[in-house]
Amino acid sequence: MSLEHELRRALSRKDPPGGFDDRVVSKIRAGETARMPIVRSRWSRWSRASLPLAASLMLAFGGSYYMHKQQERAAREQRAQTEQAARNVVLALQIASEKISAAQAKVEEITRHDPTNPR
Amino acid sequence: MLTAVTSPRTPAPSGDELLAQARTGSESAFAALVREHQAMVFGLAYHFLQSRAQAEELAQDVFLALHQNLSHVESARHLVFWLRRVTSNRCIDCVRSSQRRRELPIDGLCDPAVQPRFNDPLLGELLRTLVAELTPDARLVVTLRFQEDLDLSEIASVLDMPVNTVKSHLRRSMDALRRKLADRGHVYES
Repeated sequence: MSLEHELRRALSRKDPPGGFDDRVVSKIRAGETARMPIVRSRWSRWSRASLPLAASLMLAFGGSYYMHKQQERAAREQRAQTEQAARNVVLALQIASEKISAAQAKVEEITRHDPTNPR
Repeated sequence: MLTAVTSPRTPAPSGDELLAQARTGSESAFAALVREHQAMVFGLAYHFLQSRAQAEELAQDVFLALHQNLSHVESARHLVFWLRRVTSNRCIDCVRSSQRRRELPIDGLCDPAVQPRFNDPLLGELLRTLVAELTPDARLVVTLRFQEDLDLSEIASVLDMPVNTVKSHLRRSMDALRRKLADRGHVYES
């Protein structure tokens, strides 16, 4: 017998233990059923991670929007107060002007009837 | 579809038909493909790893990979080539990962039942033991040559290796086997 012939006999194809095909098919089934929960768990993992993220984002946006609105209102109130103050000043000036005009008219009238006035 | 594969009244479907049925999701057709090729895949893995448990695990992985890649397999002939190539690659990966993990060397992967027993009267077992002592590439070349009866160019194609490298591996392996056998009293002419 040649060495090649002996090697062919020694290294012939070899059957695996019985039920090999069943074990392969079971593994495939197990892999397929295991894949579905993986998808779900991935989704739930994403949703678990995204909920706090979304809440944080909402808080951040809500907070900045509230701050912006507060600043707007404060600015509006300040502007209104300034305008009111200006109006008050104008009114005060008008009143003062009227009083001065009235006093001046009184002085002129007194001066006109005064016999000591050389005019 | 199940009956088309398993009914004794209908002739057994060809490899191409089984492949087509397996591609459409037929579990029984895929199981038939496994049964048809399991001896080839398990044999390659076993002669390489010298461990039934590891060979079974590797062979199962190969068929799981096949199930995931059925759409890439074009024909029954291509399937045989694909299985030989994937099994060979997995064998090499197995050795590399065991070397990376600094586990037992390849000789240490042997089952107790196939540990070197140089006084074993069974020449076949001695030959398998000596083949297991070859380098991984040489071991695959020898196994593909004598288990699958492939010629040098076919082995080169499966292992993606130049033909001259395959030739060199085979020549050196045969010389080493003759020498080791001669040391144990089995003399073969070259």
